[in-house]
Amino acid sequence: MTTTPRFVLRTAYLVASVAGVAFFVLSVALLGAWPARVLGQQTATMAPEFPLEPTASERRGRTIYAREGCAYCHTQQIRYLHTDMERFGRPTLAWETRRDSPHMWGTRRIGPDLSRAGGTRSLDWQHAHLFDPRSVVPLSVMPAYPWLFDGTPMQPTQEGRDLVAYLESLGRARALAGQEGEAKAQEACQCPDDAMLRMAFEGPLNAHPAQARRDQSIVPALPASTDISGGQQLYARHCASCHGETGAGDGPGARFLTPAPTRLAEHEYSTGRLAQVLWNGVAGTAMPAWRDHRPEERAALARAVQALSRPRPEPTPTPELLETGESVFRTHCVQCHGESGDGQGFARDAVAMAPASFIGQRPTLAEAVRAVRDGVPGSPMAPWTPRLTAGEILSVAHYVRSLYRTPVSGAQP
Amino acid sequence: MLPPPVATRLVRAHGLAAIASVLVSVVFGLIVALELVLPDFFPSVAWLGWGRVRYAHTQGIMLGWLTNAFLAFLYHAVPILTGRPVTSERLGVWIFGLWNFAVMVPGWVLVLAGVSQPLEWAEFPLVIDAVVIVSLVLAAVQFLPAFFRRGIESMYVSSWYILGGLIFTLLAYPMGNLAPEWLPGAAGAAISGLWIHDAVGLFVTPLALAAIYFVIPASTGRPVFSHFLSMLGFWLLFFLYPLNGTHHYVFSVIPMSAQLTAIVASAVLGVSVVIVVTNLFLSMRGAGWLPRDPALRFVSTGTLFYLIVSVQGSLQAQMTFNQAVHFSDWVVGHSHLAMLGFATFAAAGGVVHAWQRIPEARYNPTAITWAYWLLVVGLVVMVADLTAAGLVQGRLWASGEPWVRSIEASRWYWMVRTHAGVLVAGGFVALLVGLITGVRGAGMAVRSATS
Repeated sequence: MTTTPRFVLRTAYLVASVAGVAFFVLSVALLGAWPARVLGQQTATMAPEFPLEPTASERRGRTIYAREGCAYCHTQQIRYLHTDMERFGRPTLAWETRRDSPHMWGTRRIGPDLSRAGGTRSLDWQHAHLFDPRSVVPLSVMPAYPWLFDGTPMQPTQEGRDLVAYLESLGRARALAGQEGEAKAQEACQCPDDAMLRMAFEGPLNAHPAQARRDQSIVPALPASTDISGGQQLYARHCASCHGETGAGDGPGARFLTPAPTRLAEHEYSTGRLAQVLWNGVAGTAMPAWRDHRPEERAALARAVQALSRPRPEPTPTPELLETGESVFRTHCVQCHGESGDGQGFARDAVAMAPASFIGQRPTLAEAVRAVRDGVPGSPMAPWTPRLTAGEILSVAHYVRSLYRTPVSGAQP
Repeated sequence: MLPPPVATRLVRAHGLAAIASVLVSVVFGLIVALELVLPDFFPSVAWLGWGRVRYAHTQGIMLGWLTNAFLAFLYHAVPILTGRPVTSERLGVWIFGLWNFAVMVPGWVLVLAGVSQPLEWAEFPLVIDAVVIVSLVLAAVQFLPAFFRRGIESMYVSSWYILGGLIFTLLAYPMGNLAPEWLPGAAGAAISGLWIHDAVGLFVTPLALAAIYFVIPASTGRPVFSHFLSMLGFWLLFFLYPLNGTHHYVFSVIPMSAQLTAIVASAVLGVSVVIVVTNLFLSMRGAGWLPRDPALRFVSTGTLFYLIVSVQGSLQAQMTFNQAVHFSDWVVGHSHLAMLGFATFAAAGGVVHAWQRIPEARYNPTAITWAYWLLVVGLVVMVADLTAAGLVQGRLWASGEPWVRSIEASRWYWMVRTHAGVLVAGGFVALLVGLITGVRGAGMAVRSATS
């Protein structure tokens, strides 16, 4: 065979062509097949013994999530970066995505990551938010999905229920695995040298700043604030959609939520009570926590909420009336609301929502009467109409109002 | 020797289908851009849902606009490059029909109706993927035999890019569209990452470079600066592009060695692009900053965008950089610079160049000039705006501010982006006007006046 330039060129091109295909095969092997194998091993060794499998409804919800392109604005992948972890929780492990085909990792975050979104919001909020996002999050740019509902967020279609079931399942398997599951995964990980993978087990993390928590731990005190106008702006942007512009509880989102948003204008609040609500939210309601806002902002917001309240001259109760009220309270209310009305009754943990404390908040007389008479729908507070007479209801309303401790300035009861 | 007759009917059919598709896709793009600024502007009906329209937008740009434009260019270029006609004009009619009426139209309808695949650059459902694969095989049958019959020893670089683009897409498309259906979660994402890069790198980029390498010497009448560099760039592209994909998932649970491989490959890829672009610009020397021939002007601007978008891509794959901009509008700006900057300008250059050489085609030079400027201004404003938006978003996320602040801060950027989108839409309308109005054969005159 002669070595003509033509032959050399042909051979060179043949070699290059084979190499070109080989590089493609290499890319699939090195960056596709090999990672799949490693991830498969991680899944096999690091998954909890009996991870909870998705229900049929959750699986259907997943296809709706896929169909509507939710993954194009919401990632489901918490990266091994502290900026991600502080917001969204522990970074995603391989076994958590073992049922995700096709995957929903996403490459753009317009809204927040949803890997661990399950349990961070109430169901009524989820429905209202999907039906009309701006009714509960005024600054949201999320599209509305009314076709998942029969005309109102109170009536989700099967698809709407499936989608919410799916959202509620996100992150559940890892959460349920608990400390035991984490320990098993960490042991199986065998990653003492892998600084990045070790981040998966860092904790505790104060992620999901909006998640309402029924938390008895100490709430950071708010700094003194005089910035009412700053607080009012925050209120208009974040709170008015549910609580209404004037605090009448009549914002556009209010009609979709049960329990209904509190009529802030009908209450006086101590700064301490507002600090607590803004830090923890109100578990069992759609009221989220506002931990991601700076203390000065929460303080300004608290001032604005206090300024909403319009205490009107109420009739002064006679001592006899207060005495009746106290005896009604001691008979019927202390189990939940506590001897001193601080919401620390012995049954407090047995009910779905923390009972109100009357030390840090005082309803108007009308509001107190209404709550006792009609109950608070969606909360453990039942209507007392058939069990108490109108006079008893009035007396106990007066009594709980008398428990409010006007805070000494600086102190936060 | 005279080249064999070009199937001008197919050039024109695919050219017009390309522009029709891009107008539809740009409308989808404008809808999703506007919905971010005014979320309740459009009625909330399922088929106008943001995610669905977003699916239709990117698939329309890649498969409707760019693919049709590349096919138009191939029908012009392949006979000239090989000295042989394409396999069959009749097959061409079939490919045209399949691509536009069995891929694009039903693909869009299905996606808007809610039948789709939630994978980036693979949103059309599996049933459409099957038609795509059949069409890609037919396209290979249509264009490739001419090259092999001619012999590959002295093939021009455009021919290599056409061969590479058509063959590797046949490998990459099924991988990216099918594998994640069975590989779960992280493993599926690893494959998706490869496909996101291969769709651009092994399909769009080779065909766009084929057009650029074709138009430059045809328009200037001079050979390219270096055939050696052109071949070096070609092989580097096919060696390096496939190894880049995992850079879409940096800091994920995908094994770090895979991530690092992709990050290193991304950096080296930047070097290979500099080689290609150097060769291209040296080939255009003498044509001026703003070549008079609109086809050459399109491809020279596309070359510049190619340089910028590739260097940008190499940078944003690096870990510190990635940390600052990933998940933000920076990346959306990057993909617009790739698909609407580099690829679109190359494809438009290829189509306009072919159009100028069809005696019976209408041609309106004023409108083509308008198209160029509207697209340039629209694209530059959009990319600059999204890049800035991405930096702001990344900083706000890292600062721990409430999430919604990043939405508020984006609002003005999204407004500017929408307006830039209107300019882009105007550019494509002008391109349509340029190719369907004017005197028949006027392109031939432009061609002799400018070259």
